Amino acid sequence: MFNDRREQVLLTADHKAHVDLGEVTMTEKEKSIILWYDELEGKDFNLVGKKNANLGEMIRAGIRTSPGFALTIYANDLFITSMGIKSALENYLKDLGRVTYENSLKASAFAVNLIEEASVPSIITDELFREYQKLCDLAGVENVPVATRSSGAISMPGQMETFLNIRGQEDLLHYIKKTWASAYFVEAITYRMNKGLGFILNIGVGVPKMVNSRVSGIVFTLNPLNGDRSKISVDVSYGLGEAVVSGLVTPDNFLVDKVTLEPIRSKLGEKEVQCVYEETGSTIKTVNVPQEARSRLSIDKEELKEICRISKAIDRYYGKPYDIEFAIDADLSFPENVIILQVRPESVWSKKEIKPKIEKKKDAMDRVINQLITGVRLK
Amino acid sequence: MASKFMDPHDVETIPGTEGWERMYPYHYQFSREDPLRAEHESSQLWYYDGLHYPEPHPPFDLLWDEAWFLALSQNNTRTFLVPPAKGIEHRIVNGYVFITPIGIADPKEIEARVPVFMKRAGYYYDNWDTLYVEWEARMKGLLNELEAVSFRPLPEIEDESMVFEKRGTSSGYHLMNQYDHLIGMGFKCWQYHFEMLNLCYAAFLTFTNTVDQIFPNTPMGTVTKMVSGIDAMIMRPNAELIKLAKLAIENDVDQVILKPLNAAGCMKELEKTTPGKYWLSELEKARYPWFHISTGTGWYHHDASWNDNLDIPFDAIRMHIKALKAGKVIDRPTERLVEERDKLVEEYRGLIQTEEDREAFDQTLSIARRVFPYAENHIFYVENWFHSVFWNKMRQVADILHGVGFIEDKEDIWYLKRGEIREALWDHVTSWATGIRPRGSSYWPREIAWRKGVMEKFKQWTPPPALGVPPEVVTEPFSIMLWGITTDVLKKWLQGVEAAAGGGETDELLGAPGSSGVVEGPARVIRSVEVLAELQEGEILVATTTSPSWAPAFTKIKGAVTDVGGSMCHAAIICREYALPTVVGTGRATSFIKTGDLIRIDGDSGVVKILKRA
Repeated sequence: MFNDRREQVLLTADHKAHVDLGEVTMTEKEKSIILWYDELEGKDFNLVGKKNANLGEMIRAGIRTSPGFALTIYANDLFITSMGIKSALENYLKDLGRVTYENSLKASAFAVNLIEEASVPSIITDELFREYQKLCDLAGVENVPVATRSSGAISMPGQMETFLNIRGQEDLLHYIKKTWASAYFVEAITYRMNKGLGFILNIGVGVPKMVNSRVSGIVFTLNPLNGDRSKISVDVSYGLGEAVVSGLVTPDNFLVDKVTLEPIRSKLGEKEVQCVYEETGSTIKTVNVPQEARSRLSIDKEELKEICRISKAIDRYYGKPYDIEFAIDADLSFPENVIILQVRPESVWSKKEIKPKIEKKKDAMDRVINQLITGVRLK
Repeated sequence: MASKFMDPHDVETIPGTEGWERMYPYHYQFSREDPLRAEHESSQLWYYDGLHYPEPHPPFDLLWDEAWFLALSQNNTRTFLVPPAKGIEHRIVNGYVFITPIGIADPKEIEARVPVFMKRAGYYYDNWDTLYVEWEARMKGLLNELEAVSFRPLPEIEDESMVFEKRGTSSGYHLMNQYDHLIGMGFKCWQYHFEMLNLCYAAFLTFTNTVDQIFPNTPMGTVTKMVSGIDAMIMRPNAELIKLAKLAIENDVDQVILKPLNAAGCMKELEKTTPGKYWLSELEKARYPWFHISTGTGWYHHDASWNDNLDIPFDAIRMHIKALKAGKVIDRPTERLVEERDKLVEEYRGLIQTEEDREAFDQTLSIARRVFPYAENHIFYVENWFHSVFWNKMRQVADILHGVGFIEDKEDIWYLKRGEIREALWDHVTSWATGIRPRGSSYWPREIAWRKGVMEKFKQWTPPPALGVPPEVVTEPFSIMLWGITTDVLKKWLQGVEAAAGGGETDELLGAPGSSGVVEGPARVIRSVEVLAELQEGEILVATTTSPSWAPAFTKIKGAVTDVGGSMCHAAIICREYALPTVVGTGRATSFIKTGDLIRIDGDSGVVKILKRA
């Protein structure tokens, strides 16, 4: 029902998480039903799936994303085992013989139906609702809107579902089951089949808070005008990022020193309009920005610094300039409200050939002479 | 926008000051007498040297201006042959000094100077550390020589040693000789001052320009941080005060010092106890040389040193004691500063994309760091230590002239040119020799009374920031480094000229970025160190320029704005130390901003905005 909406959190970093096969007894963490993002690290991908583990790793690297938690792969297993889904699937497969392209559609429908119709044991729901309440408390919002995102321990790019703008316990439980079920969509089953993997797959489910963007914008971890890597450029305007991304508004623009994180230049943008969600939360509309808000910068110095601090961490983490989408969440308090939505490598300057900016000279003395002769030109 | 400033010959004499020119050397006047010289004068950009001179010049005080006029220029033109720059010319208008850098336009002439410069400057750069040690020794030698000079009234009759020890030279002769020697030492000190300074700035400028090419728009403050030394002498006086404040607490004499007494009263109290005596002995150790620090720029006779007015360091010690007792950390965080500096360099270096650029960065950083201690330390030796002692030696001369009635007040001596004092002393010495009344006692008091009136009128006048025609290129390292003469600054000044002409008033001032950051707060305009105590916690200091001795006040303020100065001026350096946003070189902050105005200063863009008038 929300498939028409852009996925809000799209951190797609690939991690060199190491695989630990040596352990036999389950640790406390391995028996968890829910783990918060900030409890996770890259090597936890076998507990919560890659996407979730990556988010934890990001947080560890100082890259803040929307707060939330993950239902573990163990929780999925607990669900299908205790509700008899696992044995039902195994029996079904026995009857089927083997999964083929021909019967995959039928197998998919069987599994999806089984999961979506089952009830979830209280050992899972009790904890899920308790942790969801904590997220509501953190945001100070009743039935805070969240997303559910599937997260497998192995990469199955884009073959599983994300559902947005989920509110309340009932809705949440409903979409968590739908997310679990999405592991049995035809594309997912055939992908596993091609790879020679098993039919049954337990996945992690990420439950991040939907970002309530007071402002959002784009960062380049270089100066986009000249490729200078010692600068960070920030474009920011009110509401959802669409307004900035699509060029609907002239945003506020900041040039910041990447090393010291001190602003060098601030330019006030027009910011006539902003994009916001409709009341129902399903579509985006454009509304006018009040004159008072237009005539001042949309973020303060501390927020700017925090955006740049995180952007610098991303640049360092990947070792190259990045293009970053961020938002400041109206429900959260500073600095937790500064949230990274999407990152991708910078593509313009990274492709250009890098030429020296300074002429080759014999030695320092030669450079001093050259400086004296050139002087400083008054433009 | 206007493209040039007023022609220097067209500046009008202030009514009632006609004849003011005789208070200064004749060659300091703009004049149309010689058409060739006049044409040259009209074609140059002359800017008001408010960095050194926030006030009009008392005639005697012009000697330091003469001293650097000679020393800087000779070194550029005749000694090192700085390829495109010949030095800086000086003029005086209504008591205010205007200067202009002299460039060389002919590329052939520049080229011809290069090999000589390479050989001579190269020798200095290559042997910098050794030469600096030798320079310091020479400077200290000169300071000892200065201390040894003294002036005493002439005796009624000469001591008999004149005869029996065959001395041969009289006290009168000796007085003249001592005066010449004193003035000579003053000039010598300035010869030393410039021995290495221009090379120093050239190297630093090369580094800043290298950084600017690799990383355009990097704030000047950040660039300076990469080269600045941590143990600069100019920081030492305040460090001594902090030490004394701690010592007072440790020895339980802090309560005595906190009493509302002046320095003399306080010292009298301290004399009464053993720990008090101990503290006073430590105070004495700190005073020489560190209390020779000037409370002004050091360029004026009235820029008292801490030694001249112990109330100032005592106030500062009190401030430090209170801060320490409130649990504040007031030590200069040297370790953190070193760490920050190294991290800064490492990070920038890591962002350089090519081997060529990295080599340029490394080479120019290394040479800039080698020369920087000189840039930081010479100011303490010359403008503070030497000048502070020198002014007091001159006061001994004033005692003599006052004793014979040439001047009614000892402080009147500054209304005479250095050459006129020599003439007056000659008048005195010859009249002493003959026993006949001198002319001085009837001549000078009248002249001085008139000059005082002229000086008052000068003070009421606001000098324009510049005169003449802006050049296309500035090659003189000092102009850029110290006065911050750049395109933007000139543009801003020209806008000011326009605004003044159109009577248009804005709520914004543009200066040069001094220290990064934005801050809002109430302004306090401080024109001299005596009223520094009026500064309230959280205010923004607005001053013509500041001196290192103002350092204790920087723990109180939120930021600073100055009329004059570039990124290397004291206010900028010290504000970066204290991480206070600062805008320098605004041209007219002290007249534009009033105490109590709510202002916002942006140390990155150089913009000062008045949010609300008091």
